[in-house]
Amino acid sequence: MMQRLGARAGANRRQGPGPGPGGTSRSDLSPRDAWLLRWRGHSLLLPRRSLLGLAWLLLGLMMVFIASLSIGSMPLAPQRVIAALFGSGDPLDIYLVRELRLGRLGAALASGAGFALSGCLLQTLTRNRLAMPDIIGINNGATAFAVASIVALPMSFAPPMLALVGAVTATALTFALAGGVGVRGYRFIIVGVGIGAVFGALTNLMLARTSIDAANAAFPWTVGSLNGSGAGAQTMLWIGLAVCLPLAMASTRGLSSLRFAEPVALGWGVRVARLRLFALALAVICAALAVAVAGPVGMIALIGPELARRLSSHRSVPVLNAALAGAILMALADLLGRTLLAPVEVPVGIVTALVGGPYLIWILLRGDSPRAL
Amino acid sequence: MSEFEHDRAQRATLEASGIAMDYGHRRVIERLDLRLPEGKVTAIVGPNGCGKSTLLAGLARLHAPSAGVILLDGEPIYSLAPRDVARRLALLPQEANAPDGLTVLELVQFGRQPHQGWLRQWSEEDQRVLDAAIRAADLVELADRPLESMSGGQRQRAWLAMAIAQTTPLLLLDEPTSALDLGHQIEVFELIRSLSEEGGKTVVMVVHDLVSACRYADHLVAMLDGRIVAEGTPTEVVTPELVRELYGIDCRLVIDPLSNSPILTEIRRCRS
Repeated sequence: MMQRLGARAGANRRQGPGPGPGGTSRSDLSPRDAWLLRWRGHSLLLPRRSLLGLAWLLLGLMMVFIASLSIGSMPLAPQRVIAALFGSGDPLDIYLVRELRLGRLGAALASGAGFALSGCLLQTLTRNRLAMPDIIGINNGATAFAVASIVALPMSFAPPMLALVGAVTATALTFALAGGVGVRGYRFIIVGVGIGAVFGALTNLMLARTSIDAANAAFPWTVGSLNGSGAGAQTMLWIGLAVCLPLAMASTRGLSSLRFAEPVALGWGVRVARLRLFALALAVICAALAVAVAGPVGMIALIGPELARRLSSHRSVPVLNAALAGAILMALADLLGRTLLAPVEVPVGIVTALVGGPYLIWILLRGDSPRAL
Repeated sequence: MSEFEHDRAQRATLEASGIAMDYGHRRVIERLDLRLPEGKVTAIVGPNGCGKSTLLAGLARLHAPSAGVILLDGEPIYSLAPRDVARRLALLPQEANAPDGLTVLELVQFGRQPHQGWLRQWSEEDQRVLDAAIRAADLVELADRPLESMSGGQRQRAWLAMAIAQTTPLLLLDEPTSALDLGHQIEVFELIRSLSEEGGKTVVMVVHDLVSACRYADHLVAMLDGRIVAEGTPTEVVTPELVRELYGIDCRLVIDPLSNSPILTEIRRCRS
């Protein structure tokens, strides 16, 4: 009953000036808000809203890119940043921009894209706008393994790689115990929450029983930070994105039919079970690789896709826009974390939680059905 | 390419041969044979739990039978590619819910999905079929309305338009009028009839209401406990004995002089 009411409220708001019950009708029945390209029997239908959104996001990305490289303990003018990027200008500038800031920005952009892409896929799969890697145990699994490596071993042994192993372990457990993704994904989410809680408790137990130094070293892995990201993990994440993002974009047509009841999608000839498994695999790979770089940064997987949906056609699943939105938000959050209380650095995970928490509450209070995708 | 013209003119046969179907560990359908009359409207009737929806799911390639075979144009349907089936058989499930905010036009666009590909996202054929489907369902005025803002009957017509846009010779409907009031039921049934009479489609529908089934179907399949207990034209099949067997009620049958279909009167619960 609640869902229906929510759906109605949404519908009424959306109606606006369009042709209402007695309004003017258009006898033209071509697809709305799309550019149609036809050439020799081939045709492309490009949703206008999504492409405009893409343009905005690219613009935003460029601005965040330059801003992140300019702002820091030693501010640089944007012209000097651009010159340094292309290898001309002051050698110190070049060192600062290319060696120090670019690596960290890359980690922010890639992990943001990874989290948001993962969130977008999980939300489509479970038909639940609140699904994200955090709540299906991926993040806590990664944290537990990374913290274990720091706490248990005197020299921390490649925490990023262990984070990856932890993320995959948590998902495998969730998947096995839930018996697949299932029709609605509720079961999968609930099992994931349980697995996440167990790993979270293990992390706390380890931190409580270790020395203060080890706990300090492990701290970034409990909140998410771009400070200690390894280059190897970042390379793997970029490769993962280069594979997963095109694959996700290629399946958007199928993914958009997953938002209907299962028999409907099956009736259109969509291989639903296979597509679900495939999308889940992409989501897990992206989230796991992102956690290995940035630690369990929350909320990006929720806000990135949400922002992308605002900037995209509601007909399709905005995987590319979600990845871009996530990249921008993560870079912005890191920029804020670096500058707000400078010279003290606030870990990026704390910034996203501070901004994302109120946002989550706002979504819930707006009264839209949480299944509305 | 006139591939779809071809589809449209083409008839497709669908038959079940010796099938058994299970739901979990429970056997719902036992050794059932059914061949659908081409170009006709077939209604599957029976009491709750008789296996009629399960049978429809089997025919629609949603739920594989545990024994026997279902043949689409003579080929086992479960070994055909899903997309291939979707070009010959359209399905309207009972719980057909759509994402919020989706308009009629957008829903009907989805019906073209089985015919589309990466470099064929919206052909002239797609547009022509979409126009025809929306007109056939009389939805031109409502094309830009979100589904959730429409009445039950209008919404069901929109789903039918989606199925029409799939341009399949076969159309399977699971209780297309459940939860609709009388006026909306008739609106939907008349559209279904015209799809068969004018569009030449073979329609199979699971129907709860026996009188509507008699009124709108050419062929009636009565099921009880996973078996077919009677099959034929409504006037042949429907007898007080059958009604008693299916629903446990006593009644008298009158032939409606206008529609020439049976109507039940003096309905009361069976005493014995």
